[in-house]
Amino acid sequence: MSKRILIAEDEKNVILGVRTCLDAVGYQMEIVEDGEQALDSVRREYPDLILLDLLMPKVDGFEVLKEVKGNEETKHIPIIVLTAKAEEEDRQRAMDLGADDYMTKPFKPQELWDLLKQYLPDHIA
Amino acid sequence: MSKVPVPVNLDTVANNLADPVFLVNRDKQIAWLNKKANELFYTSDEEAEDAVITELTGINKLDSLLDDVFGQETELKCSYEEASVKVKRQDQRYFFKIAINPIFHEGELWGGLVQFTDVTRFHEMEKIKTDFVSIVSHEFRTPLTTIIVGVEMLKEGMLGDLTPRGKEVLEAIGADCERLSRLIDNLMELSRIESGTIYVEAESADVTDLVQEAVRPLKFQAEKQGIELITDIAPNLPPVAADFNKAVWVLANLVGNAMRYTDPDGTITVRVRQRGKRLFFSVEDTGCGIPKEHQDKIFRKYVQVSGPGRKGTGGVGLGLAIAKDIVMAHGGEIWVDSEVGKGTTFTFTFPVYYGDESVKLSDAEPGAEEEGG
Repeated sequence: MSKRILIAEDEKNVILGVRTCLDAVGYQMEIVEDGEQALDSVRREYPDLILLDLLMPKVDGFEVLKEVKGNEETKHIPIIVLTAKAEEEDRQRAMDLGADDYMTKPFKPQELWDLLKQYLPDHIA
Repeated sequence: MSKVPVPVNLDTVANNLADPVFLVNRDKQIAWLNKKANELFYTSDEEAEDAVITELTGINKLDSLLDDVFGQETELKCSYEEASVKVKRQDQRYFFKIAINPIFHEGELWGGLVQFTDVTRFHEMEKIKTDFVSIVSHEFRTPLTTIIVGVEMLKEGMLGDLTPRGKEVLEAIGADCERLSRLIDNLMELSRIESGTIYVEAESADVTDLVQEAVRPLKFQAEKQGIELITDIAPNLPPVAADFNKAVWVLANLVGNAMRYTDPDGTITVRVRQRGKRLFFSVEDTGCGIPKEHQDKIFRKYVQVSGPGRKGTGGVGLGLAIAKDIVMAHGGEIWVDSEVGKGTTFTFTFPVYYGDESVKLSDAEPGAEEEGG
């Protein structure tokens, strides 16, 4: 069945790009533009996967990672960090907090599709 | 010798120097220090008397530097090293370049003059530069994402049909986006290396994993270009002592370079062999080759690998400079063999991993820091 992905990203143009990418392969999506909304959505909707930006207003991506991966009920949800932060320290910090994957912007649609396929092998468009 | 009379003694001169200076004997005990050294390390003359310089300053690195200088009795040798010194009194961090000059007395090595030069300002400037590059890089990445994703989807026809001309224009935009993307990566990497904030953490790394990780993302592109990408790894190789991600970066960069200079139907071979305690990684292409006169320049910054009749490489000439820095930080070497019209082989070496004891790369780390005080 079609999988549902939460996109937490505050850049409108990037949202458009990612949404177009996911639309093309039939994923359902919810889009939030800050970390606070991301946490609300996770608690409410239990998405199948989260695409998470790190620099976001109100609550940043690191905090979202900490909350989601620190909670017994949500820690199984795969989180792929999609970020412009390319420093090794940021990657390490995100991975230490439980991120399942870390993709640095810019990326190609194929790279994103490959990653999603890896974490959501049962997805049917 | 000048004939101008000197009305003050040399102590006065030394005490007016802007930088700290110590005179130590062969046991590394402080025999004399100037006023600035006193101020910086917050000592009284009594405290300093007979004190060993490493204990007073807290800079352990001085120990090995002095050993190095004192071990060379027959020749005059200076030793330079950088260390960061934190002064307790002001809770402020200074960066010093340290120079040690041996002092001879009656033909025998007596001790050394240890001079500190304040380079804090340079470090601050370097930090500003690194931060700036990091911010610029971040600001570029986000809009590039939108462009690249859009271009790729348009190219694949996922957003509607394109005219052949439209497709051609999009191919060009896509290629330039990749070029910008590489430039950003390279500038950041170089900035890290130059500022001394890049550290090589060598661990045991599986050679096959390393090669696959470097080659995998490039396979699709190679296929598209009609280039055969071959990996030829000798069987039963021991693990290599490498910082996995950085080693992957070097190899991927060399393969990426080779792809830009190899025509369709060409071949790129990634080969790994062991010779003694080193592993030799080579990337051989059947491209246009590099003229002899350019071969010794290509590891310099902002120099592009150019071939006869070739233009528009899609690089800015940073990749090989960074690759060289990374390889050297591992204690390895990198070089090129090339013949115009036949092809090019880049080779670099990494040490075999023999366990923690044999892998000490800290000496090769640029800008290694030590805190004292």
